[in-house]
Amino acid sequence: MKTANDVLSALQSAFPGAIEEAKVAPERQLWATVKPERIVEVCKYLRDNHGFDHYSGAVGVDRIDEGLFEVTELLASHGAHKVVALLKVKTPRANPRVKSLTGLYWNANWYEREIWEMLGIDFEGHPELYPLLLPDELVGSWPWRKDFKGYPDVTTGERAIETVTPDGYTHYRIPPTQAEIEAGTVPAQRPKYPTFREREEMEIKESSEMILHLGPQHAVVPGPFLLDILVDGERVRKAFLDVGYIHKGIEKIMENRTYVQGIPITDRLCYMAALTNNEAYCGAVERLLGIEPPERAQYIRVITQELSRIQSHLLGTAEFLTLIASAVYSPFLYMIIDREDVLTCIESVTGARINHSFVRFGGVRNDLPDGFKDMTLDALKMVREKTEEYKELFLSDSIYKRRMDGVGVLSPSEARRLGVSGPPLRASDTPYDMRREDPYLLYKDLDFDVITRKEGDSKARVEVRLDEIIESCYIVEQCLDQIPSGPIMADNVPKKVKPEPGEAYYRVEDHRGEMGFFVVSDGTDKPVKVKARGPVYAYFQALPPLLEGVYIADVVAIAGSMDACTSEVDR
Amino acid sequence: MGISDVIPVPVAVDEELEKWTIWGRPLTDVWFTTTEKIHEIIDMGPIKNVLNWGRKNSLWFLMQPMGCCGVEMLVFGCPHYDCDRFGIFPRATPRQVDVMIISGYITRKYLPAIKDLWEEMPEPKWVMAIGECAISGGPFYDSYNIINNTDRFFPIDVYVPGCPPRPEKFIEGFRALQEKIKQRKDKRGY
Repeated sequence: MKTANDVLSALQSAFPGAIEEAKVAPERQLWATVKPERIVEVCKYLRDNHGFDHYSGAVGVDRIDEGLFEVTELLASHGAHKVVALLKVKTPRANPRVKSLTGLYWNANWYEREIWEMLGIDFEGHPELYPLLLPDELVGSWPWRKDFKGYPDVTTGERAIETVTPDGYTHYRIPPTQAEIEAGTVPAQRPKYPTFREREEMEIKESSEMILHLGPQHAVVPGPFLLDILVDGERVRKAFLDVGYIHKGIEKIMENRTYVQGIPITDRLCYMAALTNNEAYCGAVERLLGIEPPERAQYIRVITQELSRIQSHLLGTAEFLTLIASAVYSPFLYMIIDREDVLTCIESVTGARINHSFVRFGGVRNDLPDGFKDMTLDALKMVREKTEEYKELFLSDSIYKRRMDGVGVLSPSEARRLGVSGPPLRASDTPYDMRREDPYLLYKDLDFDVITRKEGDSKARVEVRLDEIIESCYIVEQCLDQIPSGPIMADNVPKKVKPEPGEAYYRVEDHRGEMGFFVVSDGTDKPVKVKARGPVYAYFQALPPLLEGVYIADVVAIAGSMDACTSEVDR
Repeated sequence: MGISDVIPVPVAVDEELEKWTIWGRPLTDVWFTTTEKIHEIIDMGPIKNVLNWGRKNSLWFLMQPMGCCGVEMLVFGCPHYDCDRFGIFPRATPRQVDVMIISGYITRKYLPAIKDLWEEMPEPKWVMAIGECAISGGPFYDSYNIINNTDRFFPIDVYVPGCPPRPEKFIEGFRALQEKIKQRKDKRGY
């Protein structure tokens, strides 16, 4: 198995002079600064010769003191080895230009678009530099730059105006406030690009084609998004996805909060996976601080996170069943009943149903309550029995089978190319799980299977989720047996969290896939940059190619099987 | 116009009928005027109370999960919390609902869409702001993309604080709305 040092020495011999300031810290992460003109060559070399076939994301950091932008490309591998390469490219702030990696990695598209619209870094060779998350009126003001001052006046905040068009439609538009214009955040010249509607209409080639809008309001998917499908008869010819309807600017908000104040914000990143989001953020900061939680705290974290995985998968499956047959409401109700029991267990520890803010730097907030073990074992026994029953009930149902078999098939190579992770990737016969791949907390000592399926269709994705519920029950039972007594907070946690200048990347297995937090510190009590690399962002990007050529009726079956959480896409 | 203009009755009947009133309005108004005037009369009298009694006991709300509160809204419509016992049902389309729940952050991009949803709803209709984000922006009050004065765009009757509020708080919010409708103190004045 390759180590990070092997990759680094190979890189240095293959590209003498192109690699500056390389280091390996911690053992599986390779950090290197690459000369901007050679980044594509370096990535191509890593992809072809060293198995870095997973493009995990990109982070843009504004170093306003040095007059630089930094773009860090995160590369990893689907099973060839366990090294993560973090390749940094620097570009001057005055004329920011970076070479695009979309030619090498298909899924670099959205990550680069996001950096372009937020920071204004131009990606040379990118096929479609259009805004993704921002509304049109904010494009060009580059909100993630450090000198952006466009925060609303919180005392009034009255900004929307109504206009009535000649055809009688009312439009609501939010013009910039006077303060924004004075602060210079409203660009004199906006970038030119076709809008979402124009891009769709450009694709209509024949008179038999039409566009069907699904959204932005959906009944059960928590969070609005717009899925437009271009249909010719019953077939989808092309799908368009518009996200950003609940873009809150979480990463910018966290730059304006201290490290500890950032924890509640990570809860709201994806409310179904609040505990794993906490874990990813706290893990990254712990790496910066150089502390490690004591053993009991690690056990408590694992227990709560696995319980959280159970409730998330239950709700995800319930939503999916409601989506594919909205008249059949009963499975939804039954699964919510089970979920309530699991939530009660989590609530008895964390004190909250959804947004827990439970994990702390170097430990957890409070210990397990009395009687937690018995209560949880009872709940898990019930969940396990019920899950087996659900599998028997609808996975053996002939109508369900006909609806789901062979729908939205992702072949293993295609799934890796599209960059999906979590259950959809594992349903495509790729055992890629952060708990094995990049073991955090206690997972290297625990006994569990990585659930995979061979088929790669919608049915397999749901089956993986149901099996993971049972696997999570097993993990929690193990932890409850083994949990030692001891402190729940590390001794050396500083009162005021001020990490040394540096960067840390920490990834965990979210309920939906690979969740990573990239935290940059400059020695003050506020982070310079916090980047959340979420799994649903990757699913959503992979959705339009997956929908091409399917029947209209299968669109919800495919989109629903992905278990979407729009909040985490929009952030 | 009197009744003697329409049917051949003595003028004395006309004079007698004009003395008759219904909730302070002459009865002939009811006989010879438009439905609008009839509605005005109904609005004044106890018939409205009967109507509102019916309305308050069948508040169907729009399933439109937007954030963390949206997840609690899903749960609110399910067993355990069982909103059905108050006549409160989740519906998936704005054409069938009476109450819109703003269950999360309204962004610049989503405001036009949610306004459209509101306008698609048939009268009578009410709106509730649930969760800190819908009330004041919540943890994201200083974001560049969040509208933090929802009450300017919607006639909000009930505010339910919490981040997110528990499903029991949803029930409390609906009970408050029912009480408002019963006392005819809601913003749109039904």
